[in-house]
Amino acid sequence: MFKLDPQTIKQWKRFRSIKRGYWSALILVTLIVLSCFAELYVNNRALIVSYEGKWYFPTYAGKILPGSMFGLGDDYISETNYRDLKQKFKEEDKGNWVIMPLVPFGPEETDGDHIFESPSLETKHFLGTYDAGRDVLAALVYGFRTAMAFALILLVCTYIAGICIGCLMGYWGGAFDLLFQRLIEIWNTVPFLYVIMIVASVLSRSFWTLLGVMVFFGWTTMTWNMRTSTYKEKAREYVSAASALGASNTRIIGSHILPNTISVIVTFIPFSIAGGIAALTALDYLGFGLPPDQASWGNLLKIGTANLQSGWIVTSVTVSLIVVLLMVTYVGEAIREAFDPKKFSYYE
Amino acid sequence: MNFNTFYRACGLFALSVLALALTSCSPEGESDVLSEFPTITLPPIEVAEGDGLPVEFPEDLEWITNNDDPEFASPDAIRGGTFRTWILSFPLTLRTVGPDSNGSFAGFLRPIQFSPVTFHPMTRKPIPLMATHWAFGADGRSIYFRIHPDAKWSDGEPVTADDFVFTVQFMRSEQIVAPWYNNYYTERIRDVKKYDDHTYGVQGSHSKPGDELILDLGIGPTPDHFFRMSDNWPVEYNWKPAPTTGPYHVGEVEKGKYIELHRTEDWWADDLRYIRNRFNPDVIHIKVIRDETSAWQHFLSAEIDTYGLTRPNFWHDKTNAEAFRKGYINRYWFYTKLPVPSAGLYLNTADGRLADKNVRIGLAHAMNIELLMSTVLKGDYDRLPTFQLGFAHYDNTSIYPRNFDLAKANAHFEEAGFTEVGTDGIRVRTNEDGSKDRLSFEVTYGRDDHTPRLVVLKQEAKKAGVELRLDLQDSAASFKKMLEKKHQIAWLTWSTSGLSPRYWEHFHSVNAYEYDPEIDEMIVKTQTNNVTSTAIPEMDELIMKYRNSSNLEERISLAHTLEQMVHDHAAVIPTYQVPYTRDAAWPWIELPEWLGVETTGSLFNSQANAAGMFSSGGLFWINEEKKEEILAARDRGETFDPVIIKDETYR
Repeated sequence: MFKLDPQTIKQWKRFRSIKRGYWSALILVTLIVLSCFAELYVNNRALIVSYEGKWYFPTYAGKILPGSMFGLGDDYISETNYRDLKQKFKEEDKGNWVIMPLVPFGPEETDGDHIFESPSLETKHFLGTYDAGRDVLAALVYGFRTAMAFALILLVCTYIAGICIGCLMGYWGGAFDLLFQRLIEIWNTVPFLYVIMIVASVLSRSFWTLLGVMVFFGWTTMTWNMRTSTYKEKAREYVSAASALGASNTRIIGSHILPNTISVIVTFIPFSIAGGIAALTALDYLGFGLPPDQASWGNLLKIGTANLQSGWIVTSVTVSLIVVLLMVTYVGEAIREAFDPKKFSYYE
Repeated sequence: MNFNTFYRACGLFALSVLALALTSCSPEGESDVLSEFPTITLPPIEVAEGDGLPVEFPEDLEWITNNDDPEFASPDAIRGGTFRTWILSFPLTLRTVGPDSNGSFAGFLRPIQFSPVTFHPMTRKPIPLMATHWAFGADGRSIYFRIHPDAKWSDGEPVTADDFVFTVQFMRSEQIVAPWYNNYYTERIRDVKKYDDHTYGVQGSHSKPGDELILDLGIGPTPDHFFRMSDNWPVEYNWKPAPTTGPYHVGEVEKGKYIELHRTEDWWADDLRYIRNRFNPDVIHIKVIRDETSAWQHFLSAEIDTYGLTRPNFWHDKTNAEAFRKGYINRYWFYTKLPVPSAGLYLNTADGRLADKNVRIGLAHAMNIELLMSTVLKGDYDRLPTFQLGFAHYDNTSIYPRNFDLAKANAHFEEAGFTEVGTDGIRVRTNEDGSKDRLSFEVTYGRDDHTPRLVVLKQEAKKAGVELRLDLQDSAASFKKMLEKKHQIAWLTWSTSGLSPRYWEHFHSVNAYEYDPEIDEMIVKTQTNNVTSTAIPEMDELIMKYRNSSNLEERISLAHTLEQMVHDHAAVIPTYQVPYTRDAAWPWIELPEWLGVETTGSLFNSQANAAGMFSSGGLFWINEEKKEEILAARDRGETFDPVIIKDETYR
């Protein structure tokens, strides 16, 4: 059976004992998992349509189901409006039916009849609407998913680059180290916000372009930490021993040094995630982020602050932002404490 | 180093610092700057062959004036007080020409330089301003003006014919670093001549109907006595406000914070027929507030006197604030009849798919502008039927807009070959070479607050199998992209002014393509207003005829034909028009009984002009007693019935 390292078990126990962080982690993971299936409970596409005895699953059909499929006329080449379809089937009463998700609105969908309306159970805009009648709750859910995905992908990319380069700088030292140190220093002086502005005006805005720019400038942070840690570990005797036994550089770094620097990496992760979410939200707020019609927290925050009289917008998004960032920080605190070498390192 | 050498070195250093400080303070420093940029005497007016005003003053002129049109300011107006308003950013200069002079503050600076003749805001006829009389020359392209004998600059110097001649010299000079003006005053203004201290003539390039000629040739004076011309002119005069001929001059300036316009004492025009009882506040305090949300809060707390509410979300949603509910702030909805800004979607026909007229007409039928108007715009705006409107007889009223109609859209798209529908619901065309075209376009726009409007159009366009991708940039960047013709569809509003519609800049082929000798091909011409890249030979011919005609009837008939051609070409999808102004004001800002006139741009416009020519501004005044009363009542928590006035006199 797969056996965990006793030290890892101790760290895990220690983490569980820190209630605030542990519960935050549980809630966050649940939220992330839930948001992966957001289409099932917040969506303008129906879950199931039963039409003339046949069942359709529009959410996962892989293509749009035009209105002509459900007898709405041959001209109806675009996607069916399932809320209208539901109403129609109900009125016809021919045994056809539609099951809609709990919140029957998509994140980018406008509802012209309900513009800037306060939360209401009747209209099913549970947290109200903003600008062109888009649903605040839908924007929050999909915005959370986008922000999390952004932060996690950013984390993986920057860490892979940062750890590799940082490790090599520490391990090889010398000219390589010197070269990369200067390179990173120069890199860091490039004004990041200007680059984002230039890119936004040249390329069309999208999730991936933004991510690309952020990775391009974000990988440097991790290198310094990894470099120092590797320098420290490299000087230890076990590395000399491995080297004397004829272990290759790859083996020394991969099996000996990296596992011993893992606590440094893990400790930084939650704070990087919080940073990623905050960065995306801030850029969106400033108008250099995602496409202007894509539902996102930054966009919601901007519209909310510009329309303070519709208080439900700014309240929803600020509360969500604070809660999520707070939880991520709690997890970070707990991890840092659990991995604190003062308690769990063994020195001879 | 021993101590002696050290002290000696210190002493030397201190001495040299002292010497440096002294020389930089000395008046010689300034004279150095002057000698570095010597004064330049501008050359006399050059006249090309075939142009030129007569040397002897023509005696057979028929002098015209107009003192019979109705007055439109209220005799109840009270003089005095400070009017507080705001701008988004502090201007980069106080000049009206030269680098950086085209910012929003120019909207305050330019109207306070009066022109010789202006236009009555109701009858739209020319009325005297700096000039008491004017006369048309026999060549059909020149005008003579007689300057008001009392006319003075705000610094007390009299205004003479030299100041008008100087304007042309000045505007043609390289020293002002303003190529557009250099060109305009060379190409369009061909001669200017002084006959005596108060009489001068101006000659233009083409003969035109009388009113158009006045508009083109009615150039304002430039203070000859004030400017010292040198190669350093833009820097030297960057923060030196020029004297003015209008009611206000730049008074106090606190850089980055505010600018105050002060009313000129014993202003020469105070008792003129169309001027009296106008421009009542003594001071216009323009505060820099860098964010609109913050400006709105300033207004709600009575730190700003008025606020524009034309945008629907302001009128309907933002006014749901305590100061409005308690009846402290009045709201005005005033219909007007100004030339309509051309708001629309401009399709770049240089793009392969948009070169197909069927695609363009299909797109016009796929834009649900009616739904946009009834939802996001709250039913406040009207549909704009055609590209240019609001020029009285020039309007072609027989044109109807292409409405949202899926059947028509589908038919046109299918005719263009977009017969298949992809799995995402977007139409696709398979070309002969096997490549595929999607019916997907990028819409470039520069206003964040227009996103909801485009979101609605985007959603509705999907019904016709069209995808719109929103490309929001900051306003300068988006306009740059459009002028470089790098857009597919531009969401844009051209502001309109003048007495007749304009076609040359928007639709003439010289503004669409140019010949590139390097590759021996026609290429897209950048930096012009022909953002649809329209190039139709028949249209070019009519445009030139229209431009050069001085016969009013012929011009009107040509304009009708041209407008119809624009509609048929379908490269512009006109969207909406806003036939009114809406404003909110604290009640101490009072208006005449009739609120405004048909060419009022904004009810609380402190300056003279609207749409660049109609003298309709400055009708309001400040009632200081009422101000104290209202503010005291507010502090006591008293409430009033909210005042909402809707005036449809000019609907």
